Amino acid sequence: MRRRELLAGLGALGVVGTGAAYQFGGLDDRLRGGGSQVESRELERIDAPGSSPGTEVVPESGRVTYVDFFATWCSICESKMEPMGEAATAVDSEVQFLSVTNEPLGVTTTRTDVVEWWEEHDGNWPVAHDDSLELSRAVNASGVPYAAVIDADNRLVWSDAGYKTASEILDPIREARDVSPE
Amino acid sequence: MNRRTFLAGTATTGLAGVAGCLDVLGESHGATEDVVLDPPDRYEDLRASRDNGYLPYPIHGDELPEVSVPDVTADGPVSTRQFVGDRHVLLTFVFTRCNTVCPTLTSSFAQVQHDARENGYAEDIALLPTTFDPAYDTPERLVTFAEDVGADPSAANWRILRPESPERAEAVVEGEFGVIFSRVPEEKREMENMVWNHRSSRILANKDGYVERNYRSSLNAAGLLDEVATLRERW
Repeated sequence: MRRRELLAGLGALGVVGTGAAYQFGGLDDRLRGGGSQVESRELERIDAPGSSPGTEVVPESGRVTYVDFFATWCSICESKMEPMGEAATAVDSEVQFLSVTNEPLGVTTTRTDVVEWWEEHDGNWPVAHDDSLELSRAVNASGVPYAAVIDADNRLVWSDAGYKTASEILDPIREARDVSPE
Repeated sequence: MNRRTFLAGTATTGLAGVAGCLDVLGESHGATEDVVLDPPDRYEDLRASRDNGYLPYPIHGDELPEVSVPDVTADGPVSTRQFVGDRHVLLTFVFTRCNTVCPTLTSSFAQVQHDARENGYAEDIALLPTTFDPAYDTPERLVTFAEDVGADPSAANWRILRPESPERAEAVVEGEFGVIFSRVPEEKREMENMVWNHRSSRILANKDGYVERNYRSSLNAAGLLDEVATLRERW
């Protein structure tokens, strides 16, 4: 039942929260898919500060996942890195907290460009690459920046486009943890 | 070729030409025999407006307007209709100082280019980002802008169109494609670089030179890939 309340609250949030700047997308994108199941998949983790090379299963069942989509060309994503850093420091290991780029990499924009961008903006948590847009598609990411919270049972419980403060990032994570079974 | 057979098949059932009709397999298709994607929402209204001259932009079922514009990555101009018979075409309209919608539009084209390279249809599609700010958007700036969003502007399927002059940009972008843009007075700019207000438009035209869809609102890169995939499947 608590989950239903959260989703009802989400609807209201979606209606009110239109003030934030975002690169693209609209209300429909944010209201769509509330509570829908997100299949876990393996993404390539990029070798960068706070992020060891390897693969990352996203979402990871059993933990709440916060995923933030960005692109190296996106200026709002740059300004979002500071509150992201604050939020990353505030969450514990019970939360899978990561950034994901869905840019095509390897031709003109490369992994090195992503690493340089990451270093320049003080990223210090896992960062992965959604090469085939599978994860972006699964959470209806309407553009960048775009954030989603997936609960421990792989349910998409919150998503929104645009800039967020640290508390705007942390609040939906907390709510998802409150309703998730331990 | 499959498509022609398929259309002949629907004609015998007496359903050809009906918007959103179903073929024998239950798959819906275009409003006319020239297009294969489903008609957009409110197609009948849009069609009536277009036919009455009230709608400045091409829609589902229209012939892709023919314009010839210099290509910054090659010698000589590109005609929007030179790809008829060879490639499906995606067109969009941007200015490089834009750091919001324009890189998003262009990056969705970069995703299509990437997908085409990965899945063997690079030669079946042409991506035509077009500037409406040729006074500022030099060829170098346009190439850098494409590269920044991960596109390969040196590829044969990526052609950057740059009208010869601001007047020509207006004639092409507003006149032919109905993408209205206007200069924002300096004191009214939210950000220094946001010099232009403009409508967003991505036009997908098929290999026969007909507009399948004109996406004028948000459609993410995955959504655009799905549309291209559907067009290729049904073609």
